[in-house]
Amino acid sequence: MNLDSSFFLSLTTFVYLGAAVIYLFHWIFRVRQVGVVASLAALGGLLLQTAGIGLRWVESYQRGYGHAPLSNLYESLVFFAWVVILVYLVVERRTKNRVIGAFATPFAALAMAYASFSPQVEDAIQPLVPALKSNWLIAHVVTCFLGYAAFAVACGLGIMYLIRYFSDENPAGLVGTLPPLRTLDALMYQTLTFGFVWLSLGIITGAVWANEAWGSYWTWDPKETWSLITWFVYAVALHARFVRGWTGPRIAVLAIVGFAAVIFTYFGVNFLLSGLHSYGAQ
Amino acid sequence: MESPTQPPPEPAKSLFDRIYDLFSSLRLAIFLLIALAVASIIGTLLPQGKDLAFYGEHFPRLLSLIRVLDLGDMYHSWWFLALMGLFALNLVTCTIRRLPVTLRLYRRDSLALDPDRLARMSLRHSWVLHGNPGGERAAACFRERAGRTRTAEIGGGTLHLVEHGRWTYWALYGLHASILVIFLGALVGWIWGFHGDLLLMEGDTADSITNRRGGAPIPLGFQVRCDDFDVSFYETGAPKEYRSDLTVIDGGREVLHRSVVVNRPLTYKGITFYQANYQAAPEAAVRIEAADGATKTLVVPAYQTVTWPEKGISLRLIQYMPNVHGGAAVRLLWADRDGPLQGPWLIKGRPTPLTSGDKEFSLSLIDLRQRFMTGLSVKKDPGVWIVWLGCTGLILGFVVVFWVGHRRLWLWVGPRDGKTVAVLAGQTNKNKTAFEDDFHRIVKAMDRCLEATP
Repeated sequence: MNLDSSFFLSLTTFVYLGAAVIYLFHWIFRVRQVGVVASLAALGGLLLQTAGIGLRWVESYQRGYGHAPLSNLYESLVFFAWVVILVYLVVERRTKNRVIGAFATPFAALAMAYASFSPQVEDAIQPLVPALKSNWLIAHVVTCFLGYAAFAVACGLGIMYLIRYFSDENPAGLVGTLPPLRTLDALMYQTLTFGFVWLSLGIITGAVWANEAWGSYWTWDPKETWSLITWFVYAVALHARFVRGWTGPRIAVLAIVGFAAVIFTYFGVNFLLSGLHSYGAQ
Repeated sequence: MESPTQPPPEPAKSLFDRIYDLFSSLRLAIFLLIALAVASIIGTLLPQGKDLAFYGEHFPRLLSLIRVLDLGDMYHSWWFLALMGLFALNLVTCTIRRLPVTLRLYRRDSLALDPDRLARMSLRHSWVLHGNPGGERAAACFRERAGRTRTAEIGGGTLHLVEHGRWTYWALYGLHASILVIFLGALVGWIWGFHGDLLLMEGDTADSITNRRGGAPIPLGFQVRCDDFDVSFYETGAPKEYRSDLTVIDGGREVLHRSVVVNRPLTYKGITFYQANYQAAPEAAVRIEAADGATKTLVVPAYQTVTWPEKGISLRLIQYMPNVHGGAAVRLLWADRDGPLQGPWLIKGRPTPLTSGDKEFSLSLIDLRQRFMTGLSVKKDPGVWIVWLGCTGLILGFVVVFWVGHRRLWLWVGPRDGKTVAVLAGQTNKNKTAFEDDFHRIVKAMDRCLEATP
């Protein structure tokens, strides 16, 4: 057995899938000890994945074209999963509620599974093409994916909110173990603002980088345009909340719609539209 | 006759007021954001920047719509720019309308407060003080733990106030102004800047570039020479680096040598040169022997006409093949004074006869090699720093608007039911959890401080 980065990252995929299943099991059967196992699995997966990402970084240098592992669709999916788990574990620690895990960790598990198993996703370490050889690569990808991960968690919270909102007043059973609406609403607001600032930083670092590589900070390239559309959706959500006092179900719907826009910005643009940003499609 | 008394009619809103109401409404803001989003989606679905023939071929039924609404260059069409303009106007009026609210919040005196209201705040704690001077001691404990205070005599006692972040009410304006600053930067770049292209053969010098808007030449005010261009590849075949070695010549002096690669442009006098693309261009060396024994070797680069003036001959390169049966071949466009235009093929190593009018020539291809032309993107944008300033303001604005709040802590010391009491209360408008933690820490510290008092 070869202890290289792809071994660690494949293992991570299974650990995250396992963690997602255990979180679901914990939510359904409400056994405290199971919840602890789920948290340990998520934390263990995070450590394995951190080792995997670090090793991949080292391996790219051993091949003579070293770069941070953030350069193509595979590496961005892996990083997305890493940030989702990290953001979720912070939320879990602060809220002391593991039910959210059943709605957040599946995003990370799905991202890793898609990255590892889809034939569309090339997982070999590739050298950087000239346009990507920039220090802005790390800043741009890290800021964007911090935003995306926060929005994924916000979407999970939105789904939980709607489930709880459309059930009985004092629900028993599965729904009753979801956090109270007030808590979900506050958490949604926090993750949305957090994600919004990182998305803004992601767009700005992208603009600075484009200005350095191509001489224009904004060219209405489809990726840029879709990131702006996503930004508009969340801007509407925040204004509706700040000015109109929208809370609860309507913000939950906007959190889900916003994440759909994120998904399209991330995948749809790469696969369906062409433009300058086509590195991700390889 | 007197008309029966009526309540004075509600004064009708003037047209100006109604327009002002519309422009300062959140409803318009949300409508504009959605309209801009929908328009942008159309722009990403319909290929941009093609000519009308393209749209006629691919979208024949939409052609008239595309033409009228300028959908081929949608992001610069009159109606998209108008939407952006309305958005900016809406932003300004919305913030002006909010100004009185903010001023009231900013100016309100936190010391003009009935002590009974403190007892109704959700974050509060009170102590019964023993002995004299218990009140002064409590105030000292409060100052020690919470910071500098302002005081007022109110409700028969003394109100002490620690206040932070009153200025944060203005961050909202900074945030929205930052968006306008970004627009301003874009406008400055659009008016006083340019974006053009320069295709430069190795060894050649240029003093102007081609404007992307309209294609007219733009003089640089100095010269730029390409000394060398190089493209390298990884073993996988993927490109590794495009590099142009450029020299800037100003006033006849070579002032700057730099290698320009993607992501490392060269800037001189506010004009920046970016490595954008390249073209490989062939260059043929052709020897011509006339029947009278005169010979001449002409170097014919692509895209240029080369002449042999004594014989009135001019040559252009119209086609080349690096490998035909093991040798290079080129096709020339031959023109001279006597005969018609001809397009002879020359294969390296095989002299080719050519008759023009009554004259005979023999042509040989001596050499065919590749020369590179570097494709540079050339930009001048004096507004870019304004855009970055706006972006910085935007992010700082977010941080303050989302997470930095107006925090107020009060301690009222005075008589209640025959005892001296101290009432601590606190309020903030943001990040309440962190503030609650701070509040409880202060309560504990006050407990210890008051117990330590003799």
